[in-house]
Amino acid sequence: MEFLSRTQVIAALAAVGLALYVLELVRRRRLSEEYSLLWVVSSVAAAVLGFSTPLLRAITRALGILYEGSTVFFFGLAFATAMLLYLSVKLSRLGQENHTLTRELALVRFELEELRGDRPAMALPAAPGEPA
Amino acid sequence: MGAPRVLVIVPAHDEAESLPATLDELRRKAPGFDVLVVDDGSRDGTAAIARAHHVPVVSHAVNLGVGGALQTGFRWAMARGYDVAVQLDADGQHDPAHLDALLAPVLRGECDVAIGSRYAAHTGYRAPLARRIGIALFAAVVRLAVGQRITDTTSGYRAYDRKVMAICQYDFPKDFPDSPLLIDLARRGFRLAEVPVEMRRREAGRSFYTLGRSLYYPYKNLLASLMVLLKRPG
Repeated sequence: MEFLSRTQVIAALAAVGLALYVLELVRRRRLSEEYSLLWVVSSVAAAVLGFSTPLLRAITRALGILYEGSTVFFFGLAFATAMLLYLSVKLSRLGQENHTLTRELALVRFELEELRGDRPAMALPAAPGEPA
Repeated sequence: MGAPRVLVIVPAHDEAESLPATLDELRRKAPGFDVLVVDDGSRDGTAAIARAHHVPVVSHAVNLGVGGALQTGFRWAMARGYDVAVQLDADGQHDPAHLDALLAPVLRGECDVAIGSRYAAHTGYRAPLARRIGIALFAAVVRLAVGQRITDTTSGYRAYDRKVMAICQYDFPKDFPDSPLLIDLARRGFRLAEVPVEMRRREAGRSFYTLGRSLYYPYKNLLASLMVLLKRPG
């Protein structure tokens, strides 16, 4: 196997390590399958690029990039951007759900206290000096 | 149909200092109105104060912001059959004496949202220069977006009819209850109108818009206003 540099070997091994770690996280149920797919695909892609110099060269030429290292950086950055955007979308939805749950909890708690008679049933303000 | 039922929604986040005076004033100047305090994740006993005043209070476990609190108020009002809701700040800025004036155009069916405006008429309120620039800017943005002149886009003293509440109880631009909300409402076909009111300076507690946010706010608000225009009308 032909390698361009020692760095490439290190990057390729790191990618394999990352892929294994992602699988381990899924196995321990600390990462849901949904997220693991993106991570596994990207780390496997990084490993393939790292180990296959001809492929890396071909892609580099096809994209008109001058230096192979830039190709790796390009894909790394593209993946990181995609992942961040994906997470932002997820966060937005989580935030929305969180809002709804907080609201529903507050309303249900109000009704529970109302049923127990802990507070005035209606919003009519009592006259000043009136006992509770 | 009987007389329209009106609910005054008071969103309150850590307003233990101002709330007693606000609730007392409401009772004194607007005794006929039902009041709901939405305690927005307060840690200073705001909810207990509302209870001590015999005012129903719905408490968020965490802070959702003014928009989130208002949305909870809408849900509560809709479930209990109210026809109109008025948003009134807990900090004493909004004088309940203006409630009838604010409600009038909504009750007459002339508009769906009435906005209590500091600037619609000469009311004696004079904002600092930086703020006046911001106010003019947002008024211009809203005018461009909806083709209507709204002078006080940041006013938190507003009345909403049941049609607005029915939509907003589920779908509300919660993070941006100012000009983006007005643009959003106008684009949904709701009619906005301004009512001149006087506002006071805050009496105690912190404003939702603290110094640190005063730089971030115009940026955020402007961008959010533009984003609202991109949204698919839903």
